[in-house]
Amino acid sequence: MRSFSEFNPAVVFLYFMFVTGPAMFCSNPVILVLSLAGAVTFFLVRNGSAHLKSHLGFFLLFVILALINPLISHNGVTVLFVLNNNPVTLEALLYGINSAVMVIAALYWLRSLTQIMTGDRLMYIFGRFSPKLALLISMTLRFVPLFSRQTAKTRNAQKALGLYKDDNIIDTILGDMRVYSIVITWALENGIITADSMSARGYGTGRRTSFSVFRMGLRDVILLIVTGALFAVCCIAAAQGSLKFGFYPALSRLQTDSTALAGIICYGVLAFLPSVIDMEVNIRWNLLRSRA
Amino acid sequence: MILIKNVGVRRLVRVSVPFILIPLLAVAGTLVFDVKRNLFVSMLIAVLALLLFYTGFESKTVGSRRMVIVAVMTALCFVGRFIPFLKPMTALTIIAAVYLGGEAGFLVGSLSAVLSNFYFGQGPWTAFQMLAWGLIGLFAGVLSDPIRKSRVFRTAYGVLSGVAYSMIMDIWTVLWYNGTFGWKYYLAAITTALPYTLSYAVSNVVFLVLLFEPFGEKLGRIKKKYGV
Repeated sequence: MRSFSEFNPAVVFLYFMFVTGPAMFCSNPVILVLSLAGAVTFFLVRNGSAHLKSHLGFFLLFVILALINPLISHNGVTVLFVLNNNPVTLEALLYGINSAVMVIAALYWLRSLTQIMTGDRLMYIFGRFSPKLALLISMTLRFVPLFSRQTAKTRNAQKALGLYKDDNIIDTILGDMRVYSIVITWALENGIITADSMSARGYGTGRRTSFSVFRMGLRDVILLIVTGALFAVCCIAAAQGSLKFGFYPALSRLQTDSTALAGIICYGVLAFLPSVIDMEVNIRWNLLRSRA
Repeated sequence: MILIKNVGVRRLVRVSVPFILIPLLAVAGTLVFDVKRNLFVSMLIAVLALLLFYTGFESKTVGSRRMVIVAVMTALCFVGRFIPFLKPMTALTIIAAVYLGGEAGFLVGSLSAVLSNFYFGQGPWTAFQMLAWGLIGLFAGVLSDPIRKSRVFRTAYGVLSGVAYSMIMDIWTVLWYNGTFGWKYYLAAITTALPYTLSYAVSNVVFLVLLFEPFGEKLGRIKKKYGV
């Protein structure tokens, strides 16, 4: 049994497209609440009680986003109160909350996506579309830690030479600037040497391979088919207009025909699928450990 | 999956995307979809525009040396984004564009956006950020002569690109929040983003003044030494 993040990256990437797609282009409150609940659950299952600060940040953003709309938009028939000669309506407030749920849900999904999609997984997916671009991306990702290491080395060398004092602010700034200048020159020269070495070893003469090899196993295919089917049902329900929900001028009624219900249920399953997979893995792992 | 390796397909993409697909999408977006789908259409157009540039990049015979220098500049942009408040990304993109050409500028701008977003948060805004930074680089490449010669023009371009970046991203904010574009929302977004706009403009100018000449020397030296 593998946790959700260990499935084939292409399948995981498509899942995130499937789950954020309907939530971003449809204003049905049930779908949006399911999306937010699924996203938060998955994030909590993966991270536990860590990242408290970002939860707080997301909550603040939610409040701000929810309150902006009723202050700007004065559509709607149910006036709650009048502020500076402008009516504040219930419909505008609910519309604002709805939009805020959508935005925050998308943010939570994307936080999880960012955590899962590391550089090598990204290369695995996109390296096949454009080999040259993939090389550029992988080189850049490799340069970032390389440069910070080289900066530390250069700084140490400068200190050993006695060119670098810590007790004087102006001296520190000048020293830092000297270090960065050295590192940039080194980076450019080092890059050229890398390029020459690459051509000498026959870069661009054959097919590109990637560092991490992910298999497309039976499990991956099953997950892809299941998520794809759930997504398709949501799309059909949305295309038939069953998931439509209007806020202006008055709130429309939630549709409860069979297509709408099928769409909502399928979306719910889709949204909670990764949390269920990860929780199952956690439980199984704890069981195995308790037996040992 | 090998979309761009094939010459025929590549040519097809380069012709069909700008002349057929993008206009068709824009028209269809206003006619067929209802107003709520504005965001969807504009995101598709942004992605197609990026695809167009990347097909061009793949087809040209770019030397590996040139490519490595673009990677170095992108990595420097990436690292620079960690500096709090003042961001040298736009300035470095402009510098890369002026000395290495508009295409390199587009690549540095758009790639550093998408790559650094793996730390700063990936999202549907990534496509717009890529496009915005990429276009800043592209136009800097087109205007490379006046930017290189006149200090006033360089500063003006820095300020303008900061403001333009902020305004492009505000269009996106409104589209995402509201589903359709509205001037009221846009004005609200611009006013709330004013401190950010200011910080973009200021950091562009500061880093252009600080980095333009030294980087020019370094890149010029590399060009002369290795004949890139």
